[in-house]
Amino acid sequence: MTETNKKEVIICRCEDVSEVEIKQAIEEGFTTINAIKKRLRTGMGLCQGRTCQKLVARIIAQETGKSMEEILLPTTRPPVRPIIMGAFEGEDQ
Amino acid sequence: MNKVELAVIGAGPAGLAAAIEAAQLGVKVVVFDENAQPGGQLFKQIHKFFGSREHRAGTRGFRIGQELLAQTEELGVKVNLGSTVFGLDKRNLWVLKEGKTEVYQADAVIVAAGASENALAFPGSTLPGVMTAGAAQTFINLHRVLPGKKVLMVGSGNVGLIVSYQLMQAGAEVVGLVEAAPSIGGYGVHAAKIKRAGVPLFLGHTIAEAIGEHQVESAVLTKLNESFQPIPGSEITLEVDTICIAVGLTPMMELARMAGAELKYVPKLGGHVPVNNDNMETSITGMFVAGDVCGVEEASSAMEEGRLAGVTAAEYLKHIAGKAAADRKALIREQLSAIRNGTFGNKEHLKDKVKEENTLGLRFSGTPSKDELDSCPGVPSEGRLAKGPVAVIECVQEIPCNPCEQVCPKGAIKVGKPITSLPQLTENACNGCASCVTACPGLAIVTVDRTYDENKALVTFPYEYLPLPETGATVHAVNRQGERICYGQVVKVRNNKKADGTVAISLAVPEEYAMEVRSMAKGGTK
Amino acid sequence: MNILDHPILGEVEAAKRKVTLFVNGRSIEAYEGQPIAAALMAVGIKSFRQTARKQQDRGIFCGIGRCTDCMMTVNGEPNVRTCVTSVAEGMVVETQIGLGSWREIPHE
Repeated sequence: MTETNKKEVIICRCEDVSEVEIKQAIEEGFTTINAIKKRLRTGMGLCQGRTCQKLVARIIAQETGKSMEEILLPTTRPPVRPIIMGAFEGEDQ
Repeated sequence: MNKVELAVIGAGPAGLAAAIEAAQLGVKVVVFDENAQPGGQLFKQIHKFFGSREHRAGTRGFRIGQELLAQTEELGVKVNLGSTVFGLDKRNLWVLKEGKTEVYQADAVIVAAGASENALAFPGSTLPGVMTAGAAQTFINLHRVLPGKKVLMVGSGNVGLIVSYQLMQAGAEVVGLVEAAPSIGGYGVHAAKIKRAGVPLFLGHTIAEAIGEHQVESAVLTKLNESFQPIPGSEITLEVDTICIAVGLTPMMELARMAGAELKYVPKLGGHVPVNNDNMETSITGMFVAGDVCGVEEASSAMEEGRLAGVTAAEYLKHIAGKAAADRKALIREQLSAIRNGTFGNKEHLKDKVKEENTLGLRFSGTPSKDELDSCPGVPSEGRLAKGPVAVIECVQEIPCNPCEQVCPKGAIKVGKPITSLPQLTENACNGCASCVTACPGLAIVTVDRTYDENKALVTFPYEYLPLPETGATVHAVNRQGERICYGQVVKVRNNKKADGTVAISLAVPEEYAMEVRSMAKGGTK
Repeated sequence: MNILDHPILGEVEAAKRKVTLFVNGRSIEAYEGQPIAAALMAVGIKSFRQTARKQQDRGIFCGIGRCTDCMMTVNGEPNVRTCVTSVAEGMVVETQIGLGSWREIPHE
């Protein structure tokens, strides 16, 4: 590990997105969970944001002054768990 | 398309209790759970539960799980394991099982999906060795593997306190417990157990960093000021190989939301929860909720909510009606409100108290203060102590619990109603038999015999670690803070089957330490 | 380290069957029914995969199949959640780099 990234805080464990990157995105105007997701892929990894969503929301709240209630709750779409795509076809995997 | 009368999503304490209740009323129930094993988190809970004796208090969580499973089997409830419900639309469930999608149409649905653990981000928080407290608990109690030798726990809610204790029971050393708030979040009796084992509590601290090349090698803590900002120069480095995160849970409301249930944001309950009434009905007709999914609480209340949802669903499905249904629900509601009473039932009230009070006492140190003990109705008088063996019930927080009352053969302990009342000792009725010592789920009772010997007192305390000492051995006796204050000689080791692993150890200690010695150092033979 | 004896849960059954699996070429023993992650934890292996973007180590985090941090390549199949997948005799387990690649797609 180099000295510069030693203090780096990873928020999205799947996609390796750091707190600094999220703060930059918020500064650029991406101020919702979905906007940040499209910009940085937070929550688009295999866990589908189950782990980092609340952490991302807290950073948005800190940076924008919005309430957690307002920030949380992006649309939940199926599947709510990582599943193999073939399952939708009923294929045997 | 498969048709079912009642679909229950989640085979944890809430889901199983709901399924049992509904099945008892004649409903055909099918339960779905994504895990390979049923029981939710119950089978990882190896501690004795609080609550009332009639509702299995004093029984270890995993045994309650076994009982619930036996009941579902008896009633013919079908439990589909390895079945992930990944879509819900009012009555239709999309279920993934063994790589295939099945669609079920249900007349009624109970969502009992539980909650998931919150993460915490800090430098190094992704290093192998940093894991949720629930993960550590899963590995030690289900898979029987120790995640590490030296553990740091982050968070002082019941999960953090209980998992710390269980890590020590499994053979790990807990080098510290960190809590950002100035007071302990969970039950004081849970904190007292780890304090007696000598675990340092770092209240008003946070974890600043986890350090290590490929895995955790150490942790840096920092003190926080009153506005929760780190105080420079206050860093403490602890050598650890494992860091456990226990910073709360978030209800898994995704399925309820997907189905269109109205939600409400309640921080105290863990986040957004499906709006529900005291029948556990959601905004969608025929859809009910129970357990952590509608607000994070304890397993005991999850089971009661499950039962309530089970009756309501049965009523909706026309298996019970009118007064019979109302009476049944009223009884469960009474039980539910009883366990929600007391110190921990009203969190707002608690917060105010933390601000104004001093920093003494169980909530601030993991050790009851002299004032708390002096005013505790379970602690006998000096006069009674001088007369011979007697129970000393160091229960100073109003938590919903009464096994001590039920187990006392002399009727010397009274909790009464509500069950959050502190146990009251009728000191002259007590003969110091120590039945309560191993029955108390909080391990908060000892017996003391100041007449044991001319200059020795006999202290009998509960003990749940290995190895057990031999009779006659000399061990390090410890006080409530876990400090080794004197030597004690093991006079008796009682491992009663009924106590289910809680062993009563009687130590002869110098008379002046009779009211100080409360346990022995783990493996602390001289 | 396996917890062989426990004050509440008792001793691990002596009769419990053991299986052998191969982790990055090293052979290790595990109890039948144990998840892969538990078997690795028992012998002190903590790093399970490396991330795609920053090549960081990841290991067990949630332990119940939700966070996907413990994914490895198992019998040639990448992205297997080792905390909820049981060991099997002769299983080949490999550290996963990034999202991994399918070496050998197991078709019946």
